[in-house]
Amino acid sequence: MPAEKEAGADQVKRLQRCINDLVSLLALPASWSGLEPPQIVESLLDGLMRLLALDLAYAYWSAPIDSIPVEILRVARAELSFADSDGICRTIRQCVGDTPDSLADFLPQSIADQEFRLVPVRLGLHGELGLIVAGSQRPDFPSQTEKLILSVAANQAAIGLHEARLLSEQRRVAVDLDERVAERTREIQRSNIKLRKEIAERRRAEHELRRSEAKHRVVVETASDAVVSMNEAGVIILANAATKRIFGYEPEELIGRPLTLLMPESLRGLHENGYKRYVASGQKRVSWQGTEFMALRASGEEFAVEVSFGEMTADDQKIFTGFIRDISEKKLADAALAKARAELANIARITSLAELTASIAHEVNQPLSGIVTNASTCLRMLSGDPPNIDGARETARRTIRDGNRASDVITRLRTLFSRKEINFEIVDLKEAAREVVALSLSELQRNEIIVRQEFADALPPVKGDRIQLQQVILNLLRNASDAMTGVHDRPRLLSVGLAREDDQVSLRVRDTGAGFDPKVAEKLFESFYTTKHDGMGIGLSVSRSIVEAHGGRLWGAVNDGPGSTFGFSIPCAPSSGEERTVSAHSSERPEAIPKYNRRRPSNG
Amino acid sequence: MKQHDNFADQCCWNGILPMLMEDCGSVWHDTSMTPQPLLVSVVDDDESVRESLPDLLREFGFACEVFSSAEAFLASDAINETRCLILDVVMPGMGGPELRRQLKFRRLEIPTIFITAQRDTTVRSRMLEQGAVECLFKPFSDTSLLTALNSAFQAE
Repeated sequence: MPAEKEAGADQVKRLQRCINDLVSLLALPASWSGLEPPQIVESLLDGLMRLLALDLAYAYWSAPIDSIPVEILRVARAELSFADSDGICRTIRQCVGDTPDSLADFLPQSIADQEFRLVPVRLGLHGELGLIVAGSQRPDFPSQTEKLILSVAANQAAIGLHEARLLSEQRRVAVDLDERVAERTREIQRSNIKLRKEIAERRRAEHELRRSEAKHRVVVETASDAVVSMNEAGVIILANAATKRIFGYEPEELIGRPLTLLMPESLRGLHENGYKRYVASGQKRVSWQGTEFMALRASGEEFAVEVSFGEMTADDQKIFTGFIRDISEKKLADAALAKARAELANIARITSLAELTASIAHEVNQPLSGIVTNASTCLRMLSGDPPNIDGARETARRTIRDGNRASDVITRLRTLFSRKEINFEIVDLKEAAREVVALSLSELQRNEIIVRQEFADALPPVKGDRIQLQQVILNLLRNASDAMTGVHDRPRLLSVGLAREDDQVSLRVRDTGAGFDPKVAEKLFESFYTTKHDGMGIGLSVSRSIVEAHGGRLWGAVNDGPGSTFGFSIPCAPSSGEERTVSAHSSERPEAIPKYNRRRPSNG
Repeated sequence: MKQHDNFADQCCWNGILPMLMEDCGSVWHDTSMTPQPLLVSVVDDDESVRESLPDLLREFGFACEVFSSAEAFLASDAINETRCLILDVVMPGMGGPELRRQLKFRRLEIPTIFITAQRDTTVRSRMLEQGAVECLFKPFSDTSLLTALNSAFQAE
């Protein structure tokens, strides 16, 4: 039949067209990639309008991200486009309302005085995306295929919109991220710059500090003095290399040790007290600039140092620094210098070597002369006929004595001109005087001198050099004896007296000789050349020097009667309760320098 | 008499001669006078010298007196009798040369032999210039003393 065939052919054509349309629809999303939702919806509406030959197509959807829902209206005929599109949209919306699209095929609606058939299709799985409304004035609208196309279109739209939304979200997120990254990057850059500046600053400061520290370190490390710093607790926190040389400790060994390690044990308490006092009251008992202390080496040796202190505060902590100089060598040098000076003074006592030699020769030649003469005489006597044996014997005896005299001269010279360090010992002047008198007695008696000793009973001892004091006594005895050689009209009386006078012991030698002119008394004490018996007896000037070196005095006076009295007094030795140390070279008294001036009596 | 090479030995021999006599006979020099030994005075503050010289001088045949100081000598009677003076140069108090001056003031010209322990040739030449017979350095030998003594007496 041709009508059935036509109907079948039409159906086939319709189906073909439908499939074509569907294929077109299915191809649409590909063209939507990258488009914004509005563009997608527009594209869809345009596609629908074309495909279904719609009179109008309306879309309403709310993009959750955008706050304002979007409406798009497409109309086929021109006259509709002049009408109020907003009103049409409203009308359509009102018409559709909440109607689920599955129930109604179409919704009749009059728009701009024309009848339309509206077919709403919801977008989204649950219609949450929006809504598409296809409108046609055809009475057969919508056909089955058209409904199919609409729903597929709606699906595609949903997919497209979804994807677009996702994409747009992604984009938004990406933009956001970019934004954030950029911001963060900017921040980082900013802080980077700041950091760099800070680092540069810090580096500069560090560099400065290091340079300054290096400078100071050089000073401290190369200082020949030891530099030691301690904290408030008295613990060493810094020590320089010189501590090795001076104290015998490596600097590292000292860190953490107490400062008192470097002090002799006996002085540690003193230091602690002084430090405590300073911390409490700010009072300094010693000068902080160059004070002498005793220090202690690692070996245990105590030695002298000179110390200067400094105090500083760092981080609220007090730090004390000491600059320590080892002056033990300097002290040795000073002592050696003092000794050299003393020796020089010693030598200065001898006016000149030539004179000394002359004096020695002079004094020794006297007994030598005696020896030669006596021996010559002896030979002559023995050659006599008969030989004068007795005479020869006498000369021989005198020879021996002169020999001894010569020897004594030398000995005395050596004693006198040796280092005049007074060897202080406790001396009993009574015993010493008795000894001297006993030694001189035979000679004195040969000179027909009567010797009397008047020694007080209880005599305190004196502190002095026994030998030197005996030399003085001998000198006085001999002077007294000599003074009486010309005395014939009265007894030659020599009295030696010892007595205590307050805190001194005095010895007097009194003679009955010729006396002396008080006006020339001082000259007596200048005489070096005194003569006579032992050749090199010590003169009054030396005697006075010796006595004065003992802290006493020597004097002479003319007697009331004939003769003169010479004497000296020496301070008593202090009692054991008040023992004081006496050094050989007492610093309180300048060492008496005997004047060994050779005074030659004028002889043209 | 044996001829001797030097005068000193001759004097020495002559000096011994008196010893051979029982008494200390007169010195050969002055035979015309009564045999009395000539007085030689010794003035020296040194004891060794004062002890030793007299015996030697007596061996020579002289008489001898000793004084420990120039003052003592001046104060004594010996100044008029002394025929020769043996004098120390340096003494405490008045020295030898000063004593000579003092003697000059008293118109006493006594031949003087100086003896001194100072070995100083300038002292010797000075003493000789001032008219001393000799200036001997201690210690001196007996022969040199004898020589000096003979010079002293020869000068008379």
